[in-house]
Amino acid sequence: MENRTFLQRFISKPEFGPLVLLVAELAVFWSINHDFLSVLNISNTLSFTVELGLIALGMTMLMTSGEFDLSVGSVFGFAPVIMWTFFNAGWASLEISFLIAMVLSAFIGWANGWFVTRVKISSFLVTLGMLLVVRGVGLYITDGFPQRTWSAGGHWLASALVGDFYIGSFRVYASLFWFVGIAIILGYVLTGTKVGNWIQAAGGNANSARARGVNVNRTKVALFMLTAVLSGFSGIISSIRTSSANPNSGTGYELEVIAMVVIGGTALTGGRGTIIGTVLGVFILRVMRNGIVLIGVPGLAYNIFIGAIILGMMTLHSVLERRHQAGT
Amino acid sequence: MATELIRMEHVNKFYGRVQALEDVNLVVNESEIVGLLGDNGAGKSTLIKVLSGAVPSSSGKISVRGKEVTIRSTTDAIAQGIETIYQDSALVTQLSIARNLFLGREPVKGPKFFNRLDQEKMNEVARELLARVGISKNIPPNTPIGSLSGGERQAVAIARAMHFDSDLIILDEPTNNLGVAETQGVLRFVRNARDSGHSCIFIAHNIHHVFQVVDRIVVMRRGRIVADDINPKTTSVEEVERVITGEELVVARG
Ligand SMILES: Nc1ncnc2c1ncn2[C@@H]1O[C@H](COP(=O)(O)OP(=O)(O)OP(=O)(O)O)[C@@H](O)[C@H]1O
Ligand SMILES: [Mg+2]
Repeated sequence: MENRTFLQRFISKPEFGPLVLLVAELAVFWSINHDFLSVLNISNTLSFTVELGLIALGMTMLMTSGEFDLSVGSVFGFAPVIMWTFFNAGWASLEISFLIAMVLSAFIGWANGWFVTRVKISSFLVTLGMLLVVRGVGLYITDGFPQRTWSAGGHWLASALVGDFYIGSFRVYASLFWFVGIAIILGYVLTGTKVGNWIQAAGGNANSARARGVNVNRTKVALFMLTAVLSGFSGIISSIRTSSANPNSGTGYELEVIAMVVIGGTALTGGRGTIIGTVLGVFILRVMRNGIVLIGVPGLAYNIFIGAIILGMMTLHSVLERRHQAGT
Repeated sequence: MATELIRMEHVNKFYGRVQALEDVNLVVNESEIVGLLGDNGAGKSTLIKVLSGAVPSSSGKISVRGKEVTIRSTTDAIAQGIETIYQDSALVTQLSIARNLFLGREPVKGPKFFNRLDQEKMNEVARELLARVGISKNIPPNTPIGSLSGGERQAVAIARAMHFDSDLIILDEPTNNLGVAETQGVLRFVRNARDSGHSCIFIAHNIHHVFQVVDRIVVMRRGRIVADDINPKTTSVEEVERVITGEELVVARG
């Protein structure tokens, strides 16, 4: 086993499949339309990418611990609505409104975790309920109307979150740095720390983790909170970038995010997760969405490709897994 | 008279209306190997689950070294020096050998804030331990448990108990699914444990294995302890079997 070549080890990594897919995707789109790799298109794609990507990072940690969260899209819509409602009504400064939105997001995550670990309801049902509750609250307090956000212009918080600047002719949003930074931190936490070992063990075999004195419940609650906070954070970033806080935004994001995570090689059943894989998964889906429009396929066909990628990648992961079990 | 390590008094356990333990009293002394025997469903696993904090008792008292303790979780039990190797192996199949060995008590290095796993140390200790429990094959410590054989997994669980030097090591059917060499390894481990001052509770269905290593045999039947002072040196296997099944049954069968 130890004398396998570097190449063999590289190929057997769960991130290998997604990497090949991403490269193939880029090559195909580029060969059809060279504009695909233009500076403008890349910088546009990146700015969209990080918003779903932030949620996917949280979801990767949560899914590794054996749970998942369907309420992320609702929190994505809810957090900015709260922030702008407080700010526009003059109840609080932008900073305080931001903090209130973050604390409420964390509370939603805590509630998810509480129902899952204490009341012992499956995370599917808990977060499905939460999806409806949070979306409902968002719609109720806004009467369904978008909140004004234009007054954020020039505020330091807005620049810190989505401020843009140019590197040459390449436009970079600050949100990209948040995404990269958080990805590096979470990747380190998952693979290099004690807590990361607990997260994997909680998802792999919660009972034996408990038998070793690992606080599985607290670990899971913390990850539910992390996921909700990242969803709210990314919702706020998006609201500033697009200058709108629409209580309906983020609808359907939960499934797209889960798709990104599993395409990257994280197990839906828990115990195994990869942040690098998720980053690849995020790009695979975002590049696909961007690419098929650029090469002239109607955007409505997007879901066909996404579905096909999920099925294809799952088949690949499953085949590799079985090959591995059977020995090569 | 040997010093007392564990004392359980009047322990009862109900699973709903099923009474799995009925007024159980058990003492384990220091450096003593106790064999716990009984037929399927007699309550052996339940008894040790209560002692190791895996399930709460319905009533009763547990003392460690003469001091009454409350064991509400496995963490409590580990803190009292009670380590358990479960019948249904307690390893995380997705994690590597080294990560399993140190699960819950991972060594960290560098500033505390970074919470950084000391992977070199984990791998080094893992290699050492695997050799000690008799795995002579060179298995890298980063191999996931999922690709080990049943016996190798058991050995990893035992290696873990050895490393963390507990006062009382509870083994629930540790020789199940083991080959001859591995079984000998486990039995040798139990004997060594006594020599180095540890106590053990050893549960197994193979009475011959129990006879080979224990100082004293305790027999359970339908949730009760029916004999707690059988000396394997002066008692025959057949006599113990009769206690396990209950005299009446033996007579009825003729
Ligand atoms: N979680 C549970 N819920 C309900 N009843 C249980 C539970 N666990 C055990 N029991 C019951 O308690 C009794 C004792 O079970 P236990 O597992 O302690 O037996 P055992 O002596 O370990 O048997 P074996 O030798 O087969 O492992 C059995 O009648 C069993 O049906
Ligand atoms: Mg049992």
